[in-house]
Amino acid sequence: MEYKITKEDKDATYVVLPAYNEATRIQPVIEAIAEKGYNMVIVNDGSSDNTLDVILESKRKYPDKVHVYSLLINRGVGVATQTGFDAALKFNSKYIVSMDSDGQHSADDLDAVIKPLVIGEAQAVIGVRPLKDMPRSRNYANAIMNFLTRIFYRVNVSDSQTGFRAITREALDKISINATGYLISSEFIREINDNNIPFAEVPIETIYTPETQAKGTNVSVAIKILLQMIKHQF
Amino acid sequence: MLLYSFIFPIISILAIVWFAFRYLRGKNSFFTTILWSIFWIIVAIFSLFPNLSNSFARMVGITRGLDFIIILVFIILFYTVLRLYFIVDKLQNDMNTIVKQVAIQNEITLDDEEE
Repeated sequence: MEYKITKEDKDATYVVLPAYNEATRIQPVIEAIAEKGYNMVIVNDGSSDNTLDVILESKRKYPDKVHVYSLLINRGVGVATQTGFDAALKFNSKYIVSMDSDGQHSADDLDAVIKPLVIGEAQAVIGVRPLKDMPRSRNYANAIMNFLTRIFYRVNVSDSQTGFRAITREALDKISINATGYLISSEFIREINDNNIPFAEVPIETIYTPETQAKGTNVSVAIKILLQMIKHQF
Repeated sequence: MLLYSFIFPIISILAIVWFAFRYLRGKNSFFTTILWSIFWIIVAIFSLFPNLSNSFARMVGITRGLDFIIILVFIILFYTVLRLYFIVDKLQNDMNTIVKQVAIQNEITLDDEEE
């Protein structure tokens, strides 16, 4: 019989949302996750718009589900996610998930993403975006990044740049994330592989809008990640 | 004697004195002071005795003294940029650690907003 995620499982799950200038997009994301019954650790990455005010507005609606932290200055998605992971470990968390806060990921996929962790099938999960849904430029950049992740980090995955990932508390304690920017996606996969943490790939839905396409791994970001990968070899 | 033979030794002496003062005030490390003093002494020697660069050039297999000086300056600049890169990288990491720590120790509550 197929396992159904319980309220206890959801109470033990903390979703990390790094947010930089997401004032116009983050509210529906927070509310969808809260409605599903999950806890959240939202990290405002020194946004220059009113992202923090929007987050606090949502916190007023779901005071027990939403935990808010704010970086004094913008330090990148990697640092914001690291902060969220560290904060999630302060709570009574068993499973930690990270998602994009721009509405690219669907809260409906949360159950499927944490399921392998709950049933003990894996200790880390990456949400894999369907290639057919990806815009062409993103598709090329992603293929390059998968190839580079294979070359530099010796891990073969279907989607090395996904921002939707989940990990158990024990596994998170074992890994060490130092990337400041988008390199965090490849670094997460490398750390899981290097620490022999069993992981699973779960297909997820991705909602592409002109706004979400402007962020994430495009070709210029891919070049930056390549330079960081080379630097990390030394 | 050419004009640079006067100007460069004066600049070199001022630079060495400046680095010595910075060392005495604890703003430079001993190693940095020595390294920069050596650099400025070399600049002063080459400007006072330009032909000396030819002898050094021949020692390392370069024909012209000027080429030797250009290569030397290039190496020094490369070292300086590399050193600055490592310093900036370390400062960035330190900054990230501080920014993270400050954020984690200060969870934002609705009471904070009301204040």
